[in-house]
Amino acid sequence: MSDLITVKNVSKTFVKARAVSNVSLTVKDGELLAIQGASGSGKTTLLNLLTGLEQADEGEILFDGENITSMNEDQLALFRRGHVGIVFQFFNLIPTLNVVENIALPLFPVRMARDDMLNRGKVSAEKVGLSHRLDHYPNELSGGEQQRVAIARALIVDPKVIFADEPTGNLDEKTGGMIFELLKNLNKNRDLTIVMATHDQSIAAASHRIIKLRDGMINNE
Amino acid sequence: MRKRRSKYALNVSVIILLVILLITLNSLSLAYKDVAGLPFKSINSTIIVQRNGNVPENMTGVVLSCSSAPIGADYLSKVKGVDGVKDISDGLLLWVFDHDNFKRVFGVNWNDGFGRGIVSEISVGSAPQTSSEVLVDKAYADHYDLGVNRQVSVSGVDFRISGIIESSGKNVIPSDVYVPLTSAQTLAYNSRNLQATERFSETDVNVVFVDVDQVNLKQVSQKLNNILSVGQSTGGNTPTGQVIGSYSIYTPTSFENQISSVFKLSDQLTLILSLIVPIGAILIIANSSSHTLLERRREFGIMKAVGFRNRDIQQVVFSETLLQVLIGYVAGLILSFIVIALLARTTVSVNVPWEVGGYPHFLLPNPNLAGTVLTYLLPISFQVTYALLSGAIVVAIGLLTTMILARRINGLKAMEVLRYE
Repeated sequence: MSDLITVKNVSKTFVKARAVSNVSLTVKDGELLAIQGASGSGKTTLLNLLTGLEQADEGEILFDGENITSMNEDQLALFRRGHVGIVFQFFNLIPTLNVVENIALPLFPVRMARDDMLNRGKVSAEKVGLSHRLDHYPNELSGGEQQRVAIARALIVDPKVIFADEPTGNLDEKTGGMIFELLKNLNKNRDLTIVMATHDQSIAAASHRIIKLRDGMINNE
Repeated sequence: MRKRRSKYALNVSVIILLVILLITLNSLSLAYKDVAGLPFKSINSTIIVQRNGNVPENMTGVVLSCSSAPIGADYLSKVKGVDGVKDISDGLLLWVFDHDNFKRVFGVNWNDGFGRGIVSEISVGSAPQTSSEVLVDKAYADHYDLGVNRQVSVSGVDFRISGIIESSGKNVIPSDVYVPLTSAQTLAYNSRNLQATERFSETDVNVVFVDVDQVNLKQVSQKLNNILSVGQSTGGNTPTGQVIGSYSIYTPTSFENQISSVFKLSDQLTLILSLIVPIGAILIIANSSSHTLLERRREFGIMKAVGFRNRDIQQVVFSETLLQVLIGYVAGLILSFIVIALLARTTVSVNVPWEVGGYPHFLLPNPNLAGTVLTYLLPISFQVTYALLSGAIVVAIGLLTTMILARRINGLKAMEVLRYE
């Protein structure tokens, strides 16, 4: 497997705390990577740096050879739209859009007929088993269903990698297990790279590789 | 979603209200100005000139309508000579106190602009052809059971009625009997009472109607005032005790104050409108901004996270604002059209100054009622100019709102929003 992401000596400091400190790592293409650590260890910040949602103070991040740390805000938005799917712990769906509209959201800025956009949304919904919930709104869905919508939204741009921040953290054990199975299948069947922050030991154990963070630094690899 | 819909509905309602206020009140204000000009349409002129004179000691026989004074040929030539004057008409308005009744008698030249206006209002019969033929107002004819071809006596002189006109409530200077100007001048010239009050030559008149282009109205009015006031002292007193100048010049502008109080409101309403427009705009902007920033911060954060650039989000906001503006504007136009159509069915009264065509105050219970009241359908119409103006204003409001939001969206950091909310 070739290197998809290369992180070199990346640091990020917030007002009072150094959230990520001199982190270097690589993510292989097609890999299922778990980033593990206690609350406040820097998992989410590291993921945000990898997605370009946060700008690194030091170091550089190469995505498929392209340095994303030198990109401006608009370039990063296009980078995310083109290559990256993001799944959040709290789903982050837009309450005023229904399921298929939420899934198709990343395509809204693309010049595309609305029907084509929604058709792609339906295809993406099928992949996560939500074809029967297309017209429902987020507040009409269970937590597991909302996370499936978020995964379908991440898949719609046909990304090279999905970054998932505690994707099972807000779900019960059974539902969390089903969501992880879904991500695992996407990794296995579609050769999709998945980088996942989790504090769940069993989920981390089922990944190809685990990176442990402690106080913003890699503890062991 | 319901909450957002109610906010959209509020924005649209504010825009509708703005459009209605802008179009309706400005149209009303324009109509108010037009109303003041309507009394002048019936006389085919835009300025009325009268010279003010003395009040007779005794109201008997033939007298000049109070408190007008004779206007001689020299004054007429001065008026004619003023730059901007297109044409003039003249007339002689008399009060005739016969032994059995009182009548207002107007000497008219049937061939001038004013005379043609009178003739055009004949409802029964035809225009006088000889110096002994006259027209009689319908109200007067009905009261005294007069009709076409019957005789009417004016200070002992019999005239044949050739036609009936309906001037009451229409003409700025209404009268009971309209006689040829020369016949009226003869009656006035032969009146001892009149001659004892004012020196009257057989070719004098006491009312001049001046036809002027609307654009020159103010200038001509000012010039007439300057020319006619030279060397003149005050003209006397009105029966209600007011001291008046040597000349009175009436224009549509001077009639604006005589329009009923409802219409005086229109200027005040237009003034209020000029305050409401910016307040309404501020309401929309404040509402949209707070709506967007307080309730949609998370939504915009999610959009940025999934790949929306700032300009993509701005386009979304712009489309939403544009849709609200369009719906509000179109609904506002339709409602304005309906409101104006309803207003056009209302009537408006214009009180003509007593001095222009007054009725003897002592024959009425209240001297203030002596003036003539003219009633017209409100000349209001849907003005495309105001429709375009209101469109420009609501578009400007929409653009301003979008610009303010765009600036705030640019400063929004996705993770700051998603992290803390």
